[in-house]
Amino acid sequence: MTGIFEGLKVLDFTWAAAGPIVTKQLSDNGAEVVKVESRAHPDSVRLGGPFKDGKPGINRSGFFADFNSSKKSIAVNLASQPGKDLVLRLATEWADVVVDNFRPGVLDRWGLGHDRLRTLDPRLVVLSSSLYGDDGPWRDLAGFGAQGAAVAGIHGLTGWPDLPPAMPKGAYTDSVSPRYAMAALMGALIHRDRTGEGQRIELSQVEATIEILAPELLAWQLTGVAPERAANRKPGRRLHAVLPCAGADYWIAVDVRTDPQWQALSGVLVDLGGDDLARKLTAFEALERSEEVEELVATVTMSVPPFDLEQRLHAAGVPAGVALKGSDLLADPKLRSRGHFWSLPHAEMGTLDYNGPAYRFHKTPSRLTTAAPLLGEHTDEVMSQVLGMSDEQIAQLHESGVLQ
Amino acid sequence: MLEFSHLSAAVAGRVLADLGAEVVRIERRGGDPARWADPVTRDRTGAARGLGFLAHNLGKRSVTIDIDTEAGSEIIARLAATADIVVLDWERIGSPAEADRLHEICTTANPRLVWCEIWPYGRGEYEMTPASELTLQAQGGHLYLNGEIDRAPVSVGAPVASSQAGVEAASAALMAYYHARRTGEGQRVDVSVQACVIWTLLNTTMTWQCMGIDEVRGGSVKKERGNSFFTRLVWRCADGYVQFGPVGGGGGAVREASYATLVAWMRDEGFYEEILDAHDWNGEGRFAIPQAAYDEVTALIGHFIEAHTLDELIERGMKRRILLAPIYTIPQLLEAEQLNARGFYRTVNDDARGISARVPGPFARLSATPLLEPRPAPLPGADTTALLTEAGFGDEAIALLTSAEVV
Repeated sequence: MTGIFEGLKVLDFTWAAAGPIVTKQLSDNGAEVVKVESRAHPDSVRLGGPFKDGKPGINRSGFFADFNSSKKSIAVNLASQPGKDLVLRLATEWADVVVDNFRPGVLDRWGLGHDRLRTLDPRLVVLSSSLYGDDGPWRDLAGFGAQGAAVAGIHGLTGWPDLPPAMPKGAYTDSVSPRYAMAALMGALIHRDRTGEGQRIELSQVEATIEILAPELLAWQLTGVAPERAANRKPGRRLHAVLPCAGADYWIAVDVRTDPQWQALSGVLVDLGGDDLARKLTAFEALERSEEVEELVATVTMSVPPFDLEQRLHAAGVPAGVALKGSDLLADPKLRSRGHFWSLPHAEMGTLDYNGPAYRFHKTPSRLTTAAPLLGEHTDEVMSQVLGMSDEQIAQLHESGVLQ
Repeated sequence: MLEFSHLSAAVAGRVLADLGAEVVRIERRGGDPARWADPVTRDRTGAARGLGFLAHNLGKRSVTIDIDTEAGSEIIARLAATADIVVLDWERIGSPAEADRLHEICTTANPRLVWCEIWPYGRGEYEMTPASELTLQAQGGHLYLNGEIDRAPVSVGAPVASSQAGVEAASAALMAYYHARRTGEGQRVDVSVQACVIWTLLNTTMTWQCMGIDEVRGGSVKKERGNSFFTRLVWRCADGYVQFGPVGGGGGAVREASYATLVAWMRDEGFYEEILDAHDWNGEGRFAIPQAAYDEVTALIGHFIEAHTLDELIERGMKRRILLAPIYTIPQLLEAEQLNARGFYRTVNDDARGISARVPGPFARLSATPLLEPRPAPLPGADTTALLTEAGFGDEAIALLTSAEVV
């Protein structure tokens, strides 16, 4: 057993983040995922940084690497008819699942539209994820950067009330939508196992992201008060804040809700030479004057090293967490104890730590088998082993530029 | 599917309910605290209704059981015997030992069960570490990257870490169920909220490894990769805000075309000044632009944007490939053109509570097995009698269990 999806074959047209994060769940759990690229149109994040050691190169992007572990890459010129034919064969004679995250209509232009694929292979499950969905007046607008976070309402809920909304890190819809896409895909695969029937899944990344804001939508409709950005404030908490620590730009998030947590926080502050807050303020006063509480606590935390403080608060039972930076995440004992990072060797980038899944199967563990593929690394292998081509045929297709 | 939930596992259950699963909330007698957890609305009788509860429990059934009693454990075993998946979260169950006890009861009754748990740091060495939504946004690395560089980092003002973990749990539970259907082998699955948050960063851990750079927060003004000056990315318009990177940051032909369209539009409306064409704003020359020139062009573009409404900016900007996007507020999200053109929202008429409101529609469109339409969240214990009957308890037995305050 090499994972839950052992034997599942996936033809992967995805690029950037929202699509590749979906197919990574398949490849890291045993599916054979063949990524279709070309020299003219490689996955676009191959062209963006961060590049290993800052040296640009088609096979040097860390961004690309992280989302494409355990996958194969073929480079085929889809502008050529033989290229289209090859890929059509892969889709309809080999694949169980075809995934893309193009703007609507791109696959059709290559003769690989869903209707055609499904007519040729009714068992096929095709999944198409785009920013706005495949109809409506915005369907053709290209997605870029953090636009999805703005349109899906996440950006507007982030930031200080006295400043414009602060752009949240990441293309937020690219991280929410793959989880929903996987759930939909699993539904379709289970249905296919039961009935033999394939189907088409269409997903708007913005819509999928709005799912998690359903309570905020209800708040506005039912209370007439619209949820807005409020930095880190939360009514009803004695302390719900991000506080400065010693060190360069180090912060700790602390959340105090219950009496025992309040007593415990106060104890930790006393140990650190601060005031006994629990004596100074009654519980009600603390609720009422949470801004003052925050200031008082900050005067103590600002000279304490962040991880020392975190440990003290955890030992006392107070929910707390250092605002981890990229380098801290890689060193984090909690993530390490879970085996979250996978060290994988790559021909051009050397060994890097890849992010593994956030879930853990106790009997059928996920496994990141290989680092991200070089562009076209598996072209010949797939042509010969999957499509049964001879070395001669393959050489010929290379010569005519169909294979790259 | 059986659900022991506060928030995360409830989100997981909603995903499965949408896909057509029969989802049963196992609640405390009288109903779970999630039902009145903040934020709330009040109904005609003054009763608090938790909005997270109303939103994430559509289309489920509810059984109320005292799970701390022996008879309660027997009922859970019977329910588990015919279940396929159980999902629980740390806020509802509280301790790993209690999760283990329930796991033992359920898997003894049904070894093929998929058992999925959501914990701040997953199960294992750090399963008891105290955490909350805010601290987990911090521990997953997202918090540090949000907000203004000269102030403390800020969280996303919604429980996005807990919710994302719920969706992750749904997809992981379905993966394990797919395996169980094929092989007969059930298993335990655990989800780490912290690890879910890392997946929202996209390239932060690789930027450190490849470049030795810790990314920093930018807020509304930041230095994009590929240029040497600070650029404004969030702009005030007449009735809201837009996200827009008119100059700098690379992006090639698309960005150059976006800028050209903007300049032509500004010219049409009498906003043109020479500074708009004084530099190679988006081409190779962008590296040589002084910050002062950038500030000048920003002021000019800022005046132009402030003179227009969101609708105008969408209609005449975004739709003509100017790379801007509306930063929707929650009320604007409900009125959004694209979402309404696709008929995304669904109205739920919750007659039992006297509430009618719009909720997000299907998270995906499946051609052969479309998602179910949302139905109201269950009242506490609404299905207790029906579920106990289905589990083989007769009327007398149910009456006894009720008198014994087990159900």
